[in-house]
Amino acid sequence: MRILRYIGRRSLFIGPQLFGIILVSFLLVKLIPGDPAVMMLGPFATEEQLAMLNEEMGLDGTIIDQFWIYLQNLVQGDLGTSWQTTKPVFDDLAIRFPATLELITLSLLLALLIGIPLGVAAAYFKRSIVKKFSDYYGLLAGSLPDFWLGLILIYLFYTIMQVAPAPLGRIDFAVLPPAPVTNFLIIDSLIAGNWQALWSTLGHLVLPVVTLAVINAGPILKMTQATMERMLESDLIRYAEMCGLPKSVVIRKAFRNSLPSVVTIVSVLYGFLIGGAVLVEIVFSWGGAGQYAVQGVLNADINPVLGFVLFSAILSLIIYLLVDLIYFAIDPRIRG
Amino acid sequence: MAAVAKTSGSARAGEPETTMSGDAPSGAMLEIAGLNVSYPVYEEEPVHAVRDLDLSVRSGEIVGLVGESGSGKTTLARAVMGLLTQPGRIDSGSIRFDAKDMRALSENQLRAIRGRDIAMVIPNPRSELDPLIPVGKQIAAVARAHLDIGRAEADAMALDMLKAVHIPDPARRFRAFPHELSGGMAQRVVMAISLVCSPKFVISDDATSGLDVTVQAQVLDLLRTLVREHDTSMLFITRDVGITAHFCDRVAVIYRGEIVEFARTADFFENPQHPYSVMLLAAFAHNPALRNKWHKPLASTEAEAGRACLYAPRCVHREDECDARHPDLRELGARHLVRCHFPVERVA
Repeated sequence: MRILRYIGRRSLFIGPQLFGIILVSFLLVKLIPGDPAVMMLGPFATEEQLAMLNEEMGLDGTIIDQFWIYLQNLVQGDLGTSWQTTKPVFDDLAIRFPATLELITLSLLLALLIGIPLGVAAAYFKRSIVKKFSDYYGLLAGSLPDFWLGLILIYLFYTIMQVAPAPLGRIDFAVLPPAPVTNFLIIDSLIAGNWQALWSTLGHLVLPVVTLAVINAGPILKMTQATMERMLESDLIRYAEMCGLPKSVVIRKAFRNSLPSVVTIVSVLYGFLIGGAVLVEIVFSWGGAGQYAVQGVLNADINPVLGFVLFSAILSLIIYLLVDLIYFAIDPRIRG
Repeated sequence: MAAVAKTSGSARAGEPETTMSGDAPSGAMLEIAGLNVSYPVYEEEPVHAVRDLDLSVRSGEIVGLVGESGSGKTTLARAVMGLLTQPGRIDSGSIRFDAKDMRALSENQLRAIRGRDIAMVIPNPRSELDPLIPVGKQIAAVARAHLDIGRAEADAMALDMLKAVHIPDPARRFRAFPHELSGGMAQRVVMAISLVCSPKFVISDDATSGLDVTVQAQVLDLLRTLVREHDTSMLFITRDVGITAHFCDRVAVIYRGEIVEFARTADFFENPQHPYSVMLLAAFAHNPALRNKWHKPLASTEAEAGRACLYAPRCVHREDECDARHPDLRELGARHLVRCHFPVERVA
């Protein structure tokens, strides 16, 4: 019951939060120099043509007018059109967001599988090789650029060993993609029962997922290790040891009590990676949301940028709500 | 008797045999001899938390250990459990518990003893109890870790323990989380955890210091009753010398890691002989004149270990010899041990 009330109270703020995010990002995007009309018509356009196009796109009014037009369209579910793809931004994002989400969700799952066991082991065995290894790992993961690691992996596994598929998108060109339902290729392949597409999709996911996971396991590892170390020194664990509880019980107890900070770091990474995976997306020609937004910024294509910001904001709000629900589940002190 | 007292002697070789354990019978439950514990400090002299300490607790006996904070009480308790905080270490001495040499046991053997044979009652238990697990389950977890029983049986034992420590509405409290309990109730839960395996020995480390005085009295009464019922021995560590009067069979006073006086409770309160003991007692007396007479502000420099009496800088009876020679613990009267060159004859 308490949890429902909490969700209700929380969702009251979603509207104002989104409005604030749109307002700020609209103003910021408008500050970026660049005239879309010039970009669209090319260097030989006349003044009249430019003025006409600007009027047509509603760019001749004040910034407030423009914002008002944008909001009106937004309420009708219209995020505008990208002049680069000449398609509605919403349709573009409906393909590109799932691409990114598929990538970063799997990456973070793998990063958790690497980071948590290593972090726990490094905290528990303080003078072991594991601890040394995870110290170096944390350092390395923090200093390696992800796109570089991606290129290295492509070079090793595609160019030299030829076991990985070409880094050109999410699925082989020769393979017939499944009918789009969710635009998550794994899910769609499963729905369609298209095993060839599923196999190809998974194959294409391996290298980018490994790239992002190896890099992002670093912060997860560090956070797990630091929290676990503090927890293992805590009164709580000392007392558990005084009671003669078995090692496994003690470690589990320490880990359960460290869990909130691990959940926090994962949620932060998730929100960050929506846009932060962009370099890896470019390296693997992934066609993800970050790539789309960057193209928009570079070409004065405003609508994709704003659409991306809006989608990311909504997703972040959902993630933070989920995190709160997880805290609820873990900690009885919050449940009250 | 002498054979029992001289179990290690490593640190005190060559010294005359002292009758540390009083008339300790062979049935000593806990026997500490010549124990030295220190905490290394980077590029400095290590801090000696426990020095040449001898202490014995007989089967069924409650021994009080009184000292101010920093005197080494908790270090001693943790040394007995084999759980010194880093980087503390035992330099020398022996700890025998129930005829076992605790220092020779493996970590696994120690773990089997902790919570099962030696249980610790801790103060301010709200940060020690697991915030994520209902208290009943925490009691049951300790029972299951040590006794060969199933989940249902452990839960039943935990519920019985909650009843035994007089927690109102035990069935409901069984499912309560630590943050839902008052300090007194959390303290009772910790007692339930410590007693659930019917240990042979309980160490109470300043257990009631976080409680209101009235609650403290109730909890202490309960603890004593339960300990007596189970025929358990106890080392009762406290800062409050007053509590020991009603509670303990014998009282030891510890100052800077040394036992300075060790006597039967009645003897100790009738005729305290170490100036520090007198000061502690005077501090609790409702008599400002007495208090002032025995109190001296803390000196800025601490006495050098090894040569002088450690208490000399704070002693109102200090003489030249106190700075020249470190006093041994010697027996004055029946089972009354004092570490002082000039023991107090009569408290004025």
